[in-house]
Amino acid sequence: MSDDRPELARQRDLDQVYEPAEDSHLLAETAREYVGEGDLVLEVGTGSGYVATALAKTGADVVTTDINPMACREAHEAGLPVVRANLVEPFRDGVFDLVAFNPPYLPTPPEHEFDDWMERALSGGEDGRAVVDPFLETVRRVLAADGVVLLLVSSLTDIEAVRKRAAAGGLSAREVADESHPFERLVVLELRPTEQ
Amino acid sequence: MNEDLLDIICCPLDKSELELDVRDRDDGEIVSGTLTCTECGEAYPIEDGIPNLLPPDMREETTA
Repeated sequence: MSDDRPELARQRDLDQVYEPAEDSHLLAETAREYVGEGDLVLEVGTGSGYVATALAKTGADVVTTDINPMACREAHEAGLPVVRANLVEPFRDGVFDLVAFNPPYLPTPPEHEFDDWMERALSGGEDGRAVVDPFLETVRRVLAADGVVLLLVSSLTDIEAVRKRAAAGGLSAREVADESHPFERLVVLELRPTEQ
Repeated sequence: MNEDLLDIICCPLDKSELELDVRDRDDGEIVSGTLTCTECGEAYPIEDGIPNLLPPDMREETTA
């Protein structure tokens, strides 16, 4: 039981990369039912790589992104293909069968500035949707013809507002999983392209 | 990064194809190099096996 160097290096990054929690678990369990052998899956904002690793076990090809360089390193060390990216910006049109995202969604007062990577992993700005909204505006482009998005949201984030934003982005939403916690209800929204 | 990632990535700015220039390869993995947009010419670094496809205005040093 001796800690070697890589372990220590990981410890140093620990408080700068979001560790898997109830929300990660709910998203992983739900998303697993959607994918299988040969599917191409994107996990946006992979953090520790927990959800992506669970999905890779189904035989799906999983690609991950994060904006945080330390999270990218953790995903790379876990053997996951990783791209440092802002949301789905650097991906081609129509390629993914599934896009999964556990976004930062906690409403945060405006005077509380983003000052480190953990803050960025948690905070969704004043209304909790500072990251969710641009994601909903852009994600449809990278979906394959029968592609699906699974987005984790919280009752703290105003789920009805998220639905409306999704609709504006050409996606219809329905709840496919939920879990109640003392101060919030966690929900997985399934988003599918609407007819154009 | 693995070379087959090239099939699904593109320039974050104009979504055009990227041209790969490998500097260092280890056992098939591209450890360092550059991805250059064939349209706008923007160059994106690959460091420690990780391509940094953040747009230039969001890019910063990846070494902590």
